[in-house]
Amino acid sequence: MLVVELLFAWMLVIAFLAFIACTFEDLESDVGSQSNPNSQVQLAAQVGQVHRFFNKAISGEPLSNAMYCTVAGTTAWILLQKLEPIVPDAKWKAAVVAIPLGVAVAAMIHIIFSITAHCGRTAGQKRFEQPIYLDVLYGHLLPIATHGFMTTFCITSIAYIQSNLGTLAGDPRLNHPFALPLLAFIWGITVGAIGSSTGDIHYGTEREFQDRPFGEGKRVVYHGKITRYAECGVRTQKDIVGFCAKFGGPCTGLTFGLIILFENYRTLIGMELARFLPVLPADLPFVPDVHFATAAGNMSAVWGIVVGLFIIAALLVGNMVFVRWVRKKYGPFVGA
Amino acid sequence: MALEPEMILIVGYVVIGGLLASLGAHLLPVGGAPAAMGTATGVATGTVQLMFGAVMTGLFTSSTVSSFSNNIWLVAISGAVGAAIMITVVMFMANIMYVFGCGIVPVSGRVAVDPITKEPQTPYKTPQTDGHGVPNVVFISGTMGGFVGGFGGGLMYFALLFYANFTYVTAAIAALSIFLANAILAAYNIRGTTEGLYDPKFKRLPKALVSSLAISVLAGIVVLLATIGLPQGGI
Repeated sequence: MLVVELLFAWMLVIAFLAFIACTFEDLESDVGSQSNPNSQVQLAAQVGQVHRFFNKAISGEPLSNAMYCTVAGTTAWILLQKLEPIVPDAKWKAAVVAIPLGVAVAAMIHIIFSITAHCGRTAGQKRFEQPIYLDVLYGHLLPIATHGFMTTFCITSIAYIQSNLGTLAGDPRLNHPFALPLLAFIWGITVGAIGSSTGDIHYGTEREFQDRPFGEGKRVVYHGKITRYAECGVRTQKDIVGFCAKFGGPCTGLTFGLIILFENYRTLIGMELARFLPVLPADLPFVPDVHFATAAGNMSAVWGIVVGLFIIAALLVGNMVFVRWVRKKYGPFVGA
Repeated sequence: MALEPEMILIVGYVVIGGLLASLGAHLLPVGGAPAAMGTATGVATGTVQLMFGAVMTGLFTSSTVSSFSNNIWLVAISGAVGAAIMITVVMFMANIMYVFGCGIVPVSGRVAVDPITKEPQTPYKTPQTDGHGVPNVVFISGTMGGFVGGFGGGLMYFALLFYANFTYVTAAIAALSIFLANAILAAYNIRGTTEGLYDPKFKRLPKALVSSLAISVLAGIVVLLATIGLPQGGI
């Protein structure tokens, strides 16, 4: 028997997990220095600024996160196939074992890539006299792996819940048509795209140039001349992650959480409004079939689109009001 | 084997989807690495990554909708709305980060006066930068880009699922791959940063569309061969 409240409740759990996932994704890219702001870390040695930053840019964040999440999702999925028949009455027990093991495998791959990326990139800067500090290398691996673990764990859990959503709410026909590894891949790409586009601003614009004037875009002449000294001693990435965890990380988490919330809720609300829920069509197939459709199903899609367009319009107007308020509050540029 | 109308539809929808992917990528406000330092306008990531992230989100909803609706327009528009929601939330939160985290006013580097809200841009811009944040003109262009790109992705996904009889997973992977190829072609045109509709780089669109057409026709033919050669869409 399908319980609609359970469906909505699981969606909230997914949105919360998404919040945690993207928060830690951004912090992982800060503690390991990945993605766009790392261009400054890379440039620093070339403009004569020898530093103690961890220089890891394995690839763009979406692709590297997709890799970890897909490795974790695939391993977890294989383990689930083997473990679920052992406990047919309580399949969650299989998930409790399979998901952390899958994520642990991904974390190991993450550490290997971190070491090779940091050593390779720094060794390539020998001509700029940038040394490989071994304490920087060893000291950052565990924070990188743990932050990455949190992200991958949450994403794999989201994929597990989504691929079993119908079963968890009482009717397996509402399970998502995609398999667990593909869902892990999709959300891995998306979490990386958001972490890269939102969270990096706090690290790149603010923390990397903290000895430059606050409240202006960082000029081209500053590029490469990053802040190398911390509140106490020489700065490493560990000083950066603590700073970004106060604003950049949670803001990024909120972005992904909101996207997941809006996307899932508009579909569910559409199904509610079109009366597709709570009584599903009796002939709805167990394995999703694209050739199956009902009038209520089509109306669900229409309502979902209407709700979605309403959200987009609200954000458009919200941004206009926000930008107008900021311009009035901050005023024109007054520096030199 | 006789040419069936469905075969033409497969190639047609793949080509339209590919062209829309290219157009969508040109409309997105891509700031790349400079945007992460507040040196350029837009979202601080690459063209392909931003487009891919948005379309992934759209495709997730498209696939949910395709399990209870067989109307191509509903599936495609669901994907378009999903991608547009992703991109608008990202742009809005990026603005929050610029304003409250770095004390920067969103301002365009390409236009002196916002063509939509008529707000002056130049007095608010930091010297020696190319604008910063996501101003309204860029925001609207980005929303259009997400919508168009998501629509293209949803269209291709549905064509592969419904006409080529691929399985759900194969259709998603194939649609994303064709989409990715087109987004990468667009990225060559954009070269780092763009502000979308009002950027001079947008004028290079026709050349990108020609190359996109070539790659999409090729991809459509490969999909067609897979449909003919492999029963049930193969895998």
